[in-house]
Amino acid sequence: METLKLEVITPSGLIYNGSALSVTLPGEEGEFGVLPKHATLTTLLKAGVIDIEKENKTVESVVVNWGVVQVDEEKVVVLVDGAVAIRGENESEIAKALDDAKTLLRDVSDSNIAIASVAAKIEGAAQKLIY
Amino acid sequence: MANLKEIQRKIKSVSNTQKTTRAMKLVSTAKLRRAEELAKRSRLFAQKTNQVIAEIALRVKCQKVGGIESRAFAKIDAPTMVDIIFVTADKGLCGGFNMQTIKAVRKLMEEHKEKKIKMRLRGIGKKGIEYFTYNEVELLDAVKDLSSAPDMQRAAEFIQTSIQDYYEGKIDAVYIVYNGYKNVITQELKTIRVLPVDVDAYDCEELKQSVLEIEAEDHEKMLNSLIEKYVEYNMYYALIDSVAAEHSARMQAMDAATNNAKEMVKSLKVKFNKARQEAITTELIEIISGVESMK
Repeated sequence: METLKLEVITPSGLIYNGSALSVTLPGEEGEFGVLPKHATLTTLLKAGVIDIEKENKTVESVVVNWGVVQVDEEKVVVLVDGAVAIRGENESEIAKALDDAKTLLRDVSDSNIAIASVAAKIEGAAQKLIY
Repeated sequence: MANLKEIQRKIKSVSNTQKTTRAMKLVSTAKLRRAEELAKRSRLFAQKTNQVIAEIALRVKCQKVGGIESRAFAKIDAPTMVDIIFVTADKGLCGGFNMQTIKAVRKLMEEHKEKKIKMRLRGIGKKGIEYFTYNEVELLDAVKDLSSAPDMQRAAEFIQTSIQDYYEGKIDAVYIVYNGYKNVITQELKTIRVLPVDVDAYDCEELKQSVLEIEAEDHEKMLNSLIEKYVEYNMYYALIDSVAAEHSARMQAMDAATNNAKEMVKSLKVKFNKARQEAITTELIEIISGVESMK
């Protein structure tokens, strides 16, 4: 299976670096998916969730508040301001990540609808992780 | 005998100083490690952001994509007003660290004065602020406690004034001067122009064939928000880099001070022993000559 190289970089370091089957990004103009060999493009991201489909078909979610993405044929580089990865070894860790993610979103967005829709999404992702 | 006591007191005071400097060195070493780690982690982000900006700048310059015209990429031939932002430490005792930055700022100011360009000085860090206030150089604003504890939010707020004024045309360039970290024993003075973005530094031929997807009606807003983040991040990175450099400079200065104190104790001990020997000899001579005169 073809993969693309994905890097998610925040001011305080790399939070994801590896290969992925596909990645879904919250673009300023709406959500879009990137598969390997995507045409090159540079665009802005708004607050939302990045869904990374990893090689073992599991999906990892990363919540971001603002970002720029640079896509070229083999590589996707996402530069974000603040990001929280929804992952953890046990329930309490995941719950903590969820809380962090919600605070991050509340800081950038005043609209409750936006927060609620993203929150619902990440909670769904977290549920899958727990069970 | 009075002399002996005095030397002894001196030895004691110097070795006390030595203890202090050694402790300060250890503290700096520990802090340096943390600051270095932070700087290393964010260096990657800095590089990538600069790459993205560079690529956009290239397109603006070489392809004139979608009629993007932003003041951020403008070429200003005759600037009339510039912002100079300097970053120094809040504390001293770090060798020439602060002075080097101050000197660089002075040099930059003189260069601008010669060209009759007005400037506004904005300071971060107590030491630099104190220096310029003492020399009666006017500062637009002065922020303390930011350089010792870099914070993205505060850095962004600070630089925001400059960005706003730049877009409104009040100022024509923004410089950041700081002493950055090169390695444990060397600092590197950096003067960077964050605005306008230096388009000339990039070569058109390096441009890769790629598409910049920006919707026409929004492009200005998007580009501006990107540039804003770029400048804010550069400011933040300058702070982090400066902190790492500060600790490395202090570590070195304190190491030198400890060594000097050690040398001083050594030479004082020699002096002390000589004086003691002298006292003994004088005493002996006195006794012997006393005995001699009794005969």
